[in-house]
Amino acid sequence: MLRLPKFQVVTPKTVEAAVAVLAEHGERAIVVAGGTDLVPNMKHELFTPDVVVSLASIEALHGIRRDAEGGLRIGAMTPLDEVARNPEVTASAPALAQAASLIAGPQLRRMGTLGGNVMLDTRCQWYNQTYFWRQALGFCLKKDGTVCHVVAGGKKCVAAASNDSAPALMTLDATLAFAGPDGTREVPIDAIWHTDGIWNKKVARGEILTEIHIPARATEHRGAYGKLRDRGSIDFPLLGVAVRIDLGPSGQVEDADVVLVALQARPIRVKKAAEILRGSTPGSEAFEDAARECAAAAEKQCRPMPNVPGDPDYRHRMVPVYVRRTVVAAGSSSGPIHHV
Amino acid sequence: MRVLHLQINGDAVEVAAPEHWTLLEVLRYTLGLTGSKQGCDKGDCGACTVLVDGRPMLSCLMLGALAEGREITTIEGLMPAWRQAGGEGADPVQEAFDRCGALQCGFCQPGMLLSARALLNEKPCPSRAEIRDALAGNLCRCTGYTQIVQAVELSIAEATGAEPESPAWAPGENPWKEAERAGLARGKGKG
Amino acid sequence: MAARDNHGIDAPWKGGFQVIGKAHRKSDGLAKATGQAIYADDLQLPGMLHAKILRSPYAHAEIRSIDASKALALEGVHAVITGADLPIQYGVIPWTPDENALALHKVRFIGDEVAAVAAVDEDTANAAVKLIEVEYELLHAYQDPAEALVRTEPQVHEEIRGKAVKGNISKRVELQFGDLKAAFEEADAVVEDEYFFHGTTHTPIEPHCAVAQFTPDGVLTLWSATQITHYVQRALSRVLEHPESQIRVVQPCLGGAFGGKSDPFSLEFIVSKLAMITDRPVKCLWTREEVFYAHRGRHPMRMHYRTGATKDGRLTGVDAKILIDGGSYSSFGLVTTYYSGQLLTGPYDFPSYRFDSTRVFTNKPPCGPKRGHGSVQPRFAFEVQLDQLAQKLALDPIELRRRNFQGENTKTVNGQRVTSNGFLSCLDAVEEASTWKARRGKLPFGRGLGVAGSMYISGTNYPVYPNDMPQAGIQLKVDRSGLVTVFTGGNDIGQGSNSMVRYIVAEELGLDPYDVRVVAADTDLCPVDLGAYSSRVTFMVGNATIDACRKLRETVVAAVAAEWEVPAAQVWMGLGEVFDVEQRDRRISTREAFHLAEARSDTLGATGSYNTPKLGGDYRGGTIGASPAYSFTAHVVEVDVDTETGRITVSDCWVAHDCGRALNPMLVAGQMEGSAYMGIAEALMEEHDINRFGLHQGPSLLDYRIPTSIDTPELHALIVESLDPEGPYGAKEAGEGPLHPSIPAISNAVFDAVGIRLTHLPFTPGKVLKALDEQDTAAPRTAGGRPASRPHVAEEHNA
Repeated sequence: MLRLPKFQVVTPKTVEAAVAVLAEHGERAIVVAGGTDLVPNMKHELFTPDVVVSLASIEALHGIRRDAEGGLRIGAMTPLDEVARNPEVTASAPALAQAASLIAGPQLRRMGTLGGNVMLDTRCQWYNQTYFWRQALGFCLKKDGTVCHVVAGGKKCVAAASNDSAPALMTLDATLAFAGPDGTREVPIDAIWHTDGIWNKKVARGEILTEIHIPARATEHRGAYGKLRDRGSIDFPLLGVAVRIDLGPSGQVEDADVVLVALQARPIRVKKAAEILRGSTPGSEAFEDAARECAAAAEKQCRPMPNVPGDPDYRHRMVPVYVRRTVVAAGSSSGPIHHV
Repeated sequence: MRVLHLQINGDAVEVAAPEHWTLLEVLRYTLGLTGSKQGCDKGDCGACTVLVDGRPMLSCLMLGALAEGREITTIEGLMPAWRQAGGEGADPVQEAFDRCGALQCGFCQPGMLLSARALLNEKPCPSRAEIRDALAGNLCRCTGYTQIVQAVELSIAEATGAEPESPAWAPGENPWKEAERAGLARGKGKG
Repeated sequence: MAARDNHGIDAPWKGGFQVIGKAHRKSDGLAKATGQAIYADDLQLPGMLHAKILRSPYAHAEIRSIDASKALALEGVHAVITGADLPIQYGVIPWTPDENALALHKVRFIGDEVAAVAAVDEDTANAAVKLIEVEYELLHAYQDPAEALVRTEPQVHEEIRGKAVKGNISKRVELQFGDLKAAFEEADAVVEDEYFFHGTTHTPIEPHCAVAQFTPDGVLTLWSATQITHYVQRALSRVLEHPESQIRVVQPCLGGAFGGKSDPFSLEFIVSKLAMITDRPVKCLWTREEVFYAHRGRHPMRMHYRTGATKDGRLTGVDAKILIDGGSYSSFGLVTTYYSGQLLTGPYDFPSYRFDSTRVFTNKPPCGPKRGHGSVQPRFAFEVQLDQLAQKLALDPIELRRRNFQGENTKTVNGQRVTSNGFLSCLDAVEEASTWKARRGKLPFGRGLGVAGSMYISGTNYPVYPNDMPQAGIQLKVDRSGLVTVFTGGNDIGQGSNSMVRYIVAEELGLDPYDVRVVAADTDLCPVDLGAYSSRVTFMVGNATIDACRKLRETVVAAVAAEWEVPAAQVWMGLGEVFDVEQRDRRISTREAFHLAEARSDTLGATGSYNTPKLGGDYRGGTIGASPAYSFTAHVVEVDVDTETGRITVSDCWVAHDCGRALNPMLVAGQMEGSAYMGIAEALMEEHDINRFGLHQGPSLLDYRIPTSIDTPELHALIVESLDPEGPYGAKEAGEGPLHPSIPAISNAVFDAVGIRLTHLPFTPGKVLKALDEQDTAAPRTAGGRPASRPHVAEEHNA
């Protein structure tokens, strides 16, 4: 069996204790939530920590609740399948519920957590491999090497953000709460991304994601998630599309947001989505046209690369298809868009 | 090394294992519970599925140290639990898998059976689509899943007293019933 | 053929079958369902060491030096071995032994084994592997088989068994039957096209694992996840230079194989050698990545086919040229090269045929026999070609196939004897079940039906090493409790061969199946069977079992008849009793009958065997592909094509298979469904290939996509029984044939759905879109949705 490197496991009971342990061990420590991504990555020797700090015993990080302002507060350690099924989430944040329901396979959704998925390491076909394989390759920019195999001569890692939950949360204007040695902070999820595949988040080592906050929306809100992958289960996204639509009292789109993932190091927002969709009424021909226009804008904006498996030209061709279908599905509340 | 206090198949077990061992390694190589299988090394195949607090999870990705305080059910635990509850034979899902031919090489089936058992515990009458969804994290290479789905449906049918559906290969007859009637379907001296 | 080999198709006792033909449970079903079944990695022996293997990071290189001193110095390391410790070459085919357990002078693909360590635990062994220092000198690596065909330097193999290899050609077979020139002259329609079949691999969920123990008396015991216990024993003896009589090979419960465990594998030699060096038991369990490197999967083939037919659809000739990418070693490649041509000559009759197949060595994981060995690829090309022909001649594709049916009790164009043949019934079954007539060609744009047929062998009459001994042996032992124990060398790889043996013994001796136990695949205990490959086990071991039973039964019946003073013909066995058929109330239990027989004759037991009749065409290679019986299959597949995403969804697959007689229809159906699933998976998802660096593109169960339960269509198994005169009660194979038609049937269904011809596997959404684009350029779709170019009438006829 592929073995894990040797390490110590620490199971603090409070966030403060976890922060303290991380501070104590510094670079030698790593946080594990559900372990569904970190454990394979450690088996691949992508991470070889001396200390693994598990958040599993911290009660405060579990659960979903509504706050006084009507927003949703989801503990970072809440399992993905709970997020997918929770009636509050399916009602107020359908894109997130749908995205969570399509992550990996059933067992992994029970183990994997929302916080873990938000903080997911980027992925690349030249990186998510065993030590032997990477050694035979001569390693890569992201780990142990100096060369990028995706972009010839590339100096910046382009491993792909592959977390289905991230684009959904971005469309929902979510904020993330972190606890660190300097106290706690809340930041909009939009603000945490770097366009650097090596570590694509502006989050310091030693910081722990504790809570995901989805603010209440004043208007009628609809959403959907679309996911391209080879199989109907297990696989990471080859492309993910999250859509939010806010409707005004007359049923017309007041605001909208479309964010894509699994293309480059950070999730990508379709810049003109709101402008294009605003004013049209879901179900109308004008809305369908707007969805098509939005799809064309996304196609223009996105340049898939051979970072994750699969033909990048095909993934590019699927960008407008999945954007259009997901926008339409959001309009009619008939998501997710998935081939099975 | 760490001393782990585990609840496995109803037993309180104390076992020493290296900290970097997964629950699967602890089960297989220190406790001798080799029914949980290893197929892919890293969470892709589902052969190592065990029930953790009643829910199917992958023991190859769960650190042994993090299984403390949780109730683990492995494939070895299903039949004794069923018998203790007054049942005869093996767990009805295990029996149905055997009766439907769902066990070819059998290697994926401990994980598959536990996923099926957990599904039926949570929802006694799932649809075929729900069955397929619930088993979508357990790869089988032998059966094409057909006889597995039939087995789950057979156990549902019998639990609800419905007539089990006849498979395509047995037109006009019901092999599940006939196999039982012939009295040749089970070992001697078994309940 | 010896008379002993033919037992007829009837039940052994008048009144019909008691056990055969019923959906009995498997003998090991509940053991597997409860986690009690023991597989190779479940074994733990006292003091056992763990072995890990150092592999080459280069695709093609000379080994200049190996320094293992640092590894040996690591605490907990007991031994390190390299190629020099196991210099004798082996290979499953005796004519092409080109493998070393550990590379001797050069490495031939990324993942080739270089050294092995035995240590107290896996972590220590892994750490030691990293300390071994190897110096390589790089050689040009072959990725493209077309290059390997023409470029002769460097050679992947210089010589095999003392014979110089010609360039990088592993094997070439060119055979011609009938007058091809005349065939194409008389043809009214000719289709000619290129086809490509990609690499795929077996992917049993159980990785290979072997455990060896060497005891002070000099006996080496190997427990291994293998399909070929007997060959492994022979290979171990040869490579270890240890007497065969002092080697015992045992196959524990096996977690799937599909041909992927039918070579002797390096880890078997490695653990054996390490156990002999260290005097400790040694285990090696491969990681999933290592299983991908061991491979032996489906050979990629580039195929050119030309087929002619008269205007009424009768085939006149078939001409094929095939380039086979063999990867880095021979494995079964000699046979593969023959099979790529030899197994195409049914279920259709064509008077002339030529094939020219060349297998080349490349620097990739070695290819070998995967379910439907050597014949799945040409079958794909040919069955698509038949569809093209039907299109050209404006014939219904099922009708075209019917018109060319070769018939029963006939000879193929390449001289193979065909006995039973239920192919027409297979076509009827899928045509009816799929409501083909009402729907084919009439479904809305995007939805379609496709058909394909195939033929496969039930074992071959040519053992892997030439000998005149039986291919399968059986031993029966009777206990005074009434239990009959059967000893068989047959390898139960999950297909249920042990259960099959149990059913036959119960049928023959009139026993409850639970009074029959089967001991299998242990070379110390069981008579030889050659192994679970070529779909030979049911046919050959089944016949051997009947043979042994009839001998035992004769002894028992004679004893009872003597006791009762009645003619032996009057004494029958059934349902656990022995009775006088003339006077039904005169009866004793089988157990009592066994006691009587033992008292009157001797310790009770019997042996039985099976050997094939002399078969095959009268030419060099004519016996390769010769089988005592052929199975036949037809599929209809229904697809849905999303023309915007290019994704093909198979909703249903109707599989009709002529298995001769279904000894247990439930297990036959399981083989049919599993085969169809695997074919569909190969067509739509799976791809075993290397990337531009020569590295496997994704050696994991995440990146090598095998379908989940939600990716698998509804599979409908329709059993056809033709009752073969030589099979056990008429049975033939069921485990490999039903894979073949899935793949071309999907291509043909896609044509019906959207009017494009998919000739290059796998059928990825990207390829579908590309073909649709080309179609759009050629002729825009009509208002009704169907492409205007969708042809209904043949226009272009050959002069």
